[in-house]
Formats: sequence, structure tokens, C-alpha cells
Amino acid sequence: MKNQLHRIDLEMFEGPLDLLLFLIKRDELNIYDIPIAKITGDFLEYVDLVKELKLHSAGDFVLMAATLMKIKARMLLPIEANGDDEVEDPRTELMNMLLEYKRYKEATSTFSEMERFERPYYYHIPTPWSLQQEDNTAILEDVKLYDIMLTFQYLIKNYEEPATHSVAVEEVTLSEQVGFLNGLLQAKTKLSFAGLLEKFDSRLVVVVTFLAILEMLRNRQVKVIQSKLFDDLLISRGSTFGN
Amino acid sequence: MEINELKQIIEALLMATPEPLTEARFNTCLGDEESKIPLKEVISELTSDYEKSGRAFFIKEVAGGYQIVTNAEFEPYIKGLFSKSGKLRLSQAALETLAIVSYRQPVTRNDIESIRGVSSDSSLRTLLDRKLLEIRGREDGPGRALLYRTSTEFLQYFGLNSVKDLPRLKEVEDILAEDDSELV
Repeated sequence: MKNQLHRIDLEMFEGPLDLLLFLIKRDELNIYDIPIAKITGDFLEYVDLVKELKLHSAGDFVLMAATLMKIKARMLLPIEANGDDEVEDPRTELMNMLLEYKRYKEATSTFSEMERFERPYYYHIPTPWSLQQEDNTAILEDVKLYDIMLTFQYLIKNYEEPATHSVAVEEVTLSEQVGFLNGLLQAKTKLSFAGLLEKFDSRLVVVVTFLAILEMLRNRQVKVIQSKLFDDLLISRGSTFGN
Repeated sequence: MEINELKQIIEALLMATPEPLTEARFNTCLGDEESKIPLKEVISELTSDYEKSGRAFFIKEVAGGYQIVTNAEFEPYIKGLFSKSGKLRLSQAALETLAIVSYRQPVTRNDIESIRGVSSDSSLRTLLDRKLLEIRGREDGPGRALLYRTSTEFLQYFGLNSVKDLPRLKEVEDILAEDDSELV
């Protein structure tokens, strides 16, 4: 049994439900009447492997293993017949999860087919330069929160903390940074986020300042514009600035 | 307006449009001038022109509009224009996530993960990066979780006119019926 399991390609499972469906299919088990003891045994063997390999999804497998053992334990308890109340099979919830997951898993083959079918067609797309306006800091109106997050991640990746060795506790608060940005925007109409980064000497200050920008964005105290993804963020006064 | 003039106008719009040209957008472009012939009709005229003259492209009906697309036979040459990563196929995990979003949208990450039984952060990220999904607002409930939806690019990627054109998701009963027949 053990050898058989080792031969399973670890990468081929998308998660614990996928593995359970595989075990059910392989051993021709009835999804309505899953032999919990057997499947728990097989499943646990696999989870040991996952843990050994420290796979990214190990936690999800361990969680399922716990669920299986809980069901197994409840199956062993004698069922108290109390009147007409129907006793629910402890496996019902798991069965429903498996069936629901199976529907979507089967749909992926259709998506995969459509993807393959559409591959050879190329859209006539406007060239990047035809989209670019003369002013390099032109407003990209449609800046989504996700774009801002990506840009932040991109900018901070290139941000190196100076190699100092002070051990003082840094005190920086959100409201301090909001005040700081407010002050700067009184003097200037536009601030460059990349420019701000240069002024700070710790990652913490950078993060808190970024949070301050998001907070001010939410209150419409500032507007943020970007000419293209990963480009600098330009911060300017919003509709409620100074209120 | 003459049909020939209209054909030229629409051809020009199709060449320049950054997204599928819809009937509504077409009417906006025409402004005060009025077309007595529906867009669909002119498109089918253009299509037969292209066929007759052996053009390397055709007009595709996609995402509720029309767009010019190259013929499939030229793929081997066109590929050379793009980096390989551009048309990498989606992973199984990403396809599962995409299937769940497209049938149940708008959904939260939690909805997706409870169906897949596995954390779906990285597939969501891939799909957002490739613009196949977009974030559309937040749920009203506690936590105000982000809601995910499929995008216009999703329809283009899979060559669909609308999400309604997706094949019907099988009912659980159908799947069980198939399983039974497999066993027989």
C-alpha cells in the first residue's frame, strides 16, 4: 500500500479534496457511503509525505486529516435512537463538499479546452505608444486599489534600508504621517511617492506612510495618479483636502 | 449613409478600438450622423469581403462587441512577436479558481477557498495579474471582504460573448449519474 502511494505524483493534487476524489476513484469507492476508516488511513499516509516535503499547502491537508479523524470517531460512537429524529450521517458534510468541488473541477476541463481553442487567435491591439500620451505623467484614470498595492510592493522591493545599527525604538504613528503628508501638500500640489521613500530611513516609516496615503485616499483628502503600472504614484490634493 | 461608407467607418473603428466595439459605442462614435443599417449587418458584409479577398484576419464577435482577430493559421509566425510568457497556459489551480468565480460571481476569496478546500491566494494573484479577474467592490457582511468578478479580458481570453455563454455547470445529479454509468 505504502509503495503505491509513493508513486502518486505529489504535484498532481490541487488540495485535500482533490486527493480524496482521487482515492475514491482509484479504489472505486461509493461517494455516498465512504469507508471512512480506510480512506482516513490512506489520506494520513499522504499527509505525512506532504509534511516531510514541507509543501506549501500542508496546512490544508492537515486540517482535512483532522476532519476525517473526527468523522471516524463519531462513526464509532453508538447512535442513540431518540424517537423519530433522524440521525445525520457524520459523513454528509464531507460528501457535499466533495460533490460541490467535483462540479467545478470537471468544469475546468471545458475552460482548458476553450483556452486551447482560442490560443492561435491574436487580437488587433493598439500599440503601447498609441496609448501613451505626450505628458509622461499623464493621468491613468483607472487606478485600482490592486494596482496601488502592486506598485507599493514593487517600489519597496527596491528600497534598501541603510545599514545602521541603532537599537532605539521607532515611534511612528498613522496620524503623524497623515499630518506630515498634509503639511507637504500645503506647500506642494504634487508629491512623488518614490521621492518620499528617499527621505525615510526605515521600512516601518515607509509602510506607515503608505497606510496614511490609503487612509487619506479613503477620506478623499488626496488623489493618487499613476501613468502606468509600477510607475511612481503621484499624490495630489483631493476634494476634502484641508477640511 | 451608404453601406460602403459605413463599411469603411466601421473598419476604421475596428482597427483603432482598444476593446470590443459594441453597438452602443458605435452609435456614440457616429454622433449625430445616423446609420439606418444595424452594425451586425455591416459586420457580416465586411466579413464576406474579407473572406472573398483572402485577408489574414476576420471580425470576431466577443465580449458583447466586435474585434479584429488574426486567422489561426498564422499563429506559428505571430508567436515570434511576443515573449513566451504572454501566452502561458493557466495552471489547474488557476483554472479551478476561475471556474468558481465565473459561475458564482461575485465571490469572496473565502467562498473560493471553501469550495476548493485549499488556499487560493496565489491563483487569485495570477488571475488578477493577467487581468482575467477584477475586484469589484466589497461584500456587505462583516469583514467587508473583496468581491471578485470576471473581466472583459476573461471573455476575450476564452472567446466568449458573455458569461451566459459558458456551458452550464453540471448539476450534482448529472455527475452522480455519470459515475454510475462508469461503474456498469
